[in-house]
Amino acid sequence: MSERPSLWWIDWRLSRGALVRETIGRFLFFCLLGAAFLSLLLSGGTSRFLADRFAVTAVLRADVPAAEAEGLARKAAELPPVRSAAYRDPETAWKEFLLAYPGLEPLRAAGGNPLPGYIEVRFRHDRLTGADVNLVVSAMRSVSRVDQVLAGEEWLPRLLHAGRYASWFCRGIFGAFVAGFFLFCRLQERGRAVALAGDFAFLAERGVPAGRLAASRAAGAAVSGFLSAAAGAAAGGGALFLLLREFPSLERVIGPPSDLLLPRTVAAAAVFSCFAALLSAVSSLLGGRAALSGRK
Amino acid sequence: MTRGTRLLSIFLVAALSLGFLFRASAPAARDVAAELRRERGRLLEMKERAKKTASELTEALRKEKLSKGRVGELRARLKRQRSLLSRIDRKVSALNERLDRTEKAVRELEEARGQARTGLLSAEVVAFTGQRVDAGNPWDPSARERERYFMRLRLAADAEGVARITRARERKEEELSGIERQVAVTERKRTQEKKVGETLLSRQMEERSRLAGIEREKKRKQKELKSLRAKIARMEAVVSRVERQVKERERRARKGAQDDAARKAEEAPRRFASLSGGLSAPLPGKVVSRFGRQHDPTFDVTIENRGVEIEAPSGASVKSVGNGEVAFAGAVSGFGNVLIVQHGGGLFSVYGRMETFLVKQGETVRKGTVVGRLPESPSGKSVLYLELRAGGTAVDPASAMSLDR
Repeated sequence: MSERPSLWWIDWRLSRGALVRETIGRFLFFCLLGAAFLSLLLSGGTSRFLADRFAVTAVLRADVPAAEAEGLARKAAELPPVRSAAYRDPETAWKEFLLAYPGLEPLRAAGGNPLPGYIEVRFRHDRLTGADVNLVVSAMRSVSRVDQVLAGEEWLPRLLHAGRYASWFCRGIFGAFVAGFFLFCRLQERGRAVALAGDFAFLAERGVPAGRLAASRAAGAAVSGFLSAAAGAAAGGGALFLLLREFPSLERVIGPPSDLLLPRTVAAAAVFSCFAALLSAVSSLLGGRAALSGRK
Repeated sequence: MTRGTRLLSIFLVAALSLGFLFRASAPAARDVAAELRRERGRLLEMKERAKKTASELTEALRKEKLSKGRVGELRARLKRQRSLLSRIDRKVSALNERLDRTEKAVRELEEARGQARTGLLSAEVVAFTGQRVDAGNPWDPSARERERYFMRLRLAADAEGVARITRARERKEEELSGIERQVAVTERKRTQEKKVGETLLSRQMEERSRLAGIEREKKRKQKELKSLRAKIARMEAVVSRVERQVKERERRARKGAQDDAARKAEEAPRRFASLSGGLSAPLPGKVVSRFGRQHDPTFDVTIENRGVEIEAPSGASVKSVGNGEVAFAGAVSGFGNVLIVQHGGGLFSVYGRMETFLVKQGETVRKGTVVGRLPESPSGKSVLYLELRAGGTAVDPASAMSLDR
């Protein structure tokens, strides 16, 4: 009975230099993909951006006291879809208005402030839907102290449609990158399989089955892919974290950096790594088979 | 002419007739009688003048009182007018002040409206012509919606402000028009009242001038009256003295001539009746004053009539009572135009108070010849004085001819 040779990390033992180069390349790519994945995950496509842009404005009556308005804002903030509800007094409203229309400032120097106070209600990005908006608008309109509720009835449906399309577009781009990465990995695996075809033939002559060899190579690729993806996701996440801290304005599109440390984000990163391992294994198998059949 | 004056005149003409007819028989008595007549005539004239002057003075006093009353009334009216004008002036002044205030308010409102309109237009320009800096940000639709809503609020507030100022200005302009109308009405009233005041002032000045004239006239009349009364007093003293002299002489003469006169008086009618053709009445009429001693009830005196007075229609023709020659035709004080016809034999007929003579002195007349006419009178009646004298003695004409009594 002949001794069966170990096939674990056969590629590493047969073509170490090429494997190192490929692994480094894949790590860098995983860094980018990981960052993109986490960005998509946190932003929800364009949901966070739209949620940051959209707000329901409840214009109060002129005679509503500030304390009552504050209480009304607190009640509005307790609604499930609401992320925040802030009261702006007439003075603040007037200042904001003048900021938006700076030419008006000298025109009404002597006149009084004709603007009332208002409550600005902002939505959670994962609850920015037509139904949730209607829920909040109905709740605000039922309050007698509210004179007018501005919820963009004319343009909100179009905005939500556009947001959905933009999200799907972002996800499509990400998927295309993943597909391209997969094809690139397959080509690399095939190329290496072709380069090691002599060695694999020698092993076959010594009684090593081709399937066991392919499985061993796929397992090695999966482990390598998982580790590279995990490392890349971590690195990409770290870079994203630093980027968000460096440029806070990006938070309005992607989300706060603290969300990167949430367990669900880590779990998503793990799933991303597993998916990368799977892709690496599949690309190894497909590349090996393509090499044996002589296809490209 | 009053009755007393008439009596005096009769007395005078009688004296005149005596002097005229019998100047050669009693020169001393004639002198005294002439002087008496002269003095009495002057006295009469003075009394007439005094009476006239007193009457004029009374009239002047009445006029003065009337004029003073008018001046007082005008003064009171003028005072009321001035008070009214003063009130109107105060009202005009107050209206002018209100007018100034309202005009100022209108100007301020106009200015405020202009500013508000400019602000509104500028705000509209800012809102609709892209002067917004951040409002066009497409990434913030909610903020844009809110800003648009607030801009609508602001434009509505500005438009309401402009409308409010416009309404206020219109109200003020209406008020201004009302005040201007009031001022115009008050000014017209003031002008009218001023004219009335000027008229009153002018009338007052005229009245004062007239009053001054009346006072001057009054003083003059008073002075004249005083002077006349003094003269009359002196004249009455003279007349009294002459009368005493006349009476004394008459008393002496009467005693010697009493018998002769009585005889002549008895003969006189017979002598007139013996005239060829007889005598006839000078004109148809009623005797209103008889011959001889008559009592005057008005003055309560007894007078001696030497002729009769016959009342006849105005302008009636006077005929000669008998044949004769005109001895005298002329004016005699107190008797007017007097015609004396000499019938011869010491017989004379005297016609007094005639208007015109139709014969001349020296002309021969026959019985019934129209010698003159009576004057025209508004009452339609005139009086002829007729006296017959025979040998210097007055004869009752009713005893020598037929007269209607």
